[in-house]
Amino acid sequence: MVEAAGWWPVLVAPALLLAGAVLAVAGDAMLAARYAGRPARAAVAAVPLLEVARLLAQQPRTLPKADRLLWRLGVVTVPVAAVLSVLVIPFGHRAVADLSVGVVWFNAMEVLTWAGLWLAGWGPNAAFSLIGGYRFVAQGLAYELPLMFALISPATAAQSLGVGDIAEAQQGLWFAVWMPVAFAGYLAGVLAFAFLGPFGYPAGRDTAAGVLGETAGVDRLLLQAGRWLWLTSGAAMAVPLFLGGAAGPGVPGWAWSALKTLLVLAVLVWSLRRLPVLRADRYAEFAWVVLVPLTIAQALVPALVVLDR
Amino acid sequence: MDLTAPLLRAAAARPHILLVATPGGTAARLAAERQLRLDGLPLAPTPADAGILLVAGPDCPALRPALDRLWQHMPAPRARAQARTPEAVADAVARCRIELAARPAPGPASAPPSDGTEPPGGLPMAETAPDRDGLSLDQLHLSLGPFLADWPSGVTVRLTLQGDVIQQAEMGEQPATRGTAPFWAEPWARAAAGERVGAGEAARRRAAAHLDSLGRLLALAGWAHAATTARRLRDDLLDGAATGALRPAVRRFARRVARSRTLHWLTRGTGVLGADEARAAGVSGPAARAGGDVAARYRTWLAAVVRDVERLADPAPLDAAYDEGPRGRGDAGQPPSEALLRVLPGLLEGAELAAARLIVASLDPDPDELAAAAREVASRG
Repeated sequence: MVEAAGWWPVLVAPALLLAGAVLAVAGDAMLAARYAGRPARAAVAAVPLLEVARLLAQQPRTLPKADRLLWRLGVVTVPVAAVLSVLVIPFGHRAVADLSVGVVWFNAMEVLTWAGLWLAGWGPNAAFSLIGGYRFVAQGLAYELPLMFALISPATAAQSLGVGDIAEAQQGLWFAVWMPVAFAGYLAGVLAFAFLGPFGYPAGRDTAAGVLGETAGVDRLLLQAGRWLWLTSGAAMAVPLFLGGAAGPGVPGWAWSALKTLLVLAVLVWSLRRLPVLRADRYAEFAWVVLVPLTIAQALVPALVVLDR
Repeated sequence: MDLTAPLLRAAAARPHILLVATPGGTAARLAAERQLRLDGLPLAPTPADAGILLVAGPDCPALRPALDRLWQHMPAPRARAQARTPEAVADAVARCRIELAARPAPGPASAPPSDGTEPPGGLPMAETAPDRDGLSLDQLHLSLGPFLADWPSGVTVRLTLQGDVIQQAEMGEQPATRGTAPFWAEPWARAAAGERVGAGEAARRRAAAHLDSLGRLLALAGWAHAATTARRLRDDLLDGAATGALRPAVRRFARRVARSRTLHWLTRGTGVLGADEARAAGVSGPAARAGGDVAARYRTWLAAVVRDVERLADPAPLDAAYDEGPRGRGDAGQPPSEALLRVLPGLLEGAELAAARLIVASLDPDPDELAAAAREVASRG
């Protein structure tokens, strides 16, 4: 049973999210060190902190005729939306707010990043940055529908849009087991809205870091933080949606939540450097021709099961 | 409590470095890339992300304004150094890091000063022109180069874009530098001068050159792991590792990249250069042998690397007629990279912007060769 408890989770939830993001960045730095042939020393774990210090000390950038209001608005939106998205995710058996439409809330926050990132690309008044912003919109057109069907599948099976109800409906069998396509589509969607790894197209090297290309200092810190916070939030949401939530033997619920979240996060971080960046023009074709029909068929399975019940 | 000093010290512990090679600076660039990889200092893709501007290679007066522009676009705190030779790299990086840690608090934010060549507002106004379907669409002019991450430095391509489709591509003037022979073609230059050069030595240089090109292409394709592996293998080759030590890693790398369906899916059909068309334009080497798209060209490189790694100990003298340089034969005093530049505009026109960088990287003209050629033209004229 998920309960909304007092005021203190309002502070704890963002702190936990931040801790997860710091671990993800440190893990990524560790993998980078290993691939580059450096010994993976403990100092690598300090990389996220050094990065924060570097960006705080760095002068923010101003460009001629930049649209500063919209630029800042966009840059702030990305991490803020990520933090807001965790409000509905239960940790153990507690959530900040177990809304009856929790899945819709999560999805709405994720779509806010569309606006945020596009504005962040538009603001600096620079060609590559704008291209980066548009690339995210193009990528969004490809990943969003499969992601929505992936979110709908567990909601249909649980006959509820509340995240707590969905976690509870998996007594016995995890949704990841009998909805593998939805689970895979969801994980791909997480990488895509965090625009990291194979979905790093909006910040691609071929357009001189695209949407990140003109940002420095605090602006860059917020956008980069937004990416990793979204990755962590997506990993945390996978637990109640597909992996049985906080249920598990032996240890208390919060420990199971943390363990499962970190496992999903580890898989996502590992995948970041293993694939080339997917060009949105080619991925869109694949998404519409293959992924959308597959995820619709997947959503049909729980619908039929529920009808038959 | 003053937080600025510890903050600056922490920031200087892991600065991001904008590494810029000037034409003729390949050896210094390789030394820098290797050192930064082992020190764990990330390479910045843009000046906005960088704290240190490290110029690798000899002075190039024609490119000085472009370098100064990069410097102007870097946010404080920042430091700048030039390493003209590979030996100077370690010292230059160390000096910059000390300077970064000691710098006083950054000043107020300011816009980079305009150098008078940029139109007001930084971006030219869009004009309209008919596109390929006969519709009237906005046109945008965009220059690639002379300095970009994973780009042949000094090369400039002026693009006219409609949407993300390149309508027109024009090559800019190639800057000339004083300098030594091109690093990658050095064994062939020595053989041409009458010196006895082993075929094994040439194979080693060629394999390293292909791995360098592959590292650039894979980095642009966003495949971080494979790009790092290519650069590690390149450095091992240049360090003189033996065939036996390299074989398993090279084979594994070549197999993984050549068989990657994702990479093939992302690059197939882009930048198609037929074999006959290539030969007619004077292109030789892997680009002509591949006779196809970007995917065909990187697979040709991979096959060549696997073959060359088997021949590292070959004591036979280099026969330049049979054993081509990494970018082909230099016919009639013209370096092979020049022919690669000639076919480039034709390949770029009609391509999408996302494919443009991959097409350039898949041909990978060598800035050293181009600079040497421009030098000869200048001295002749």
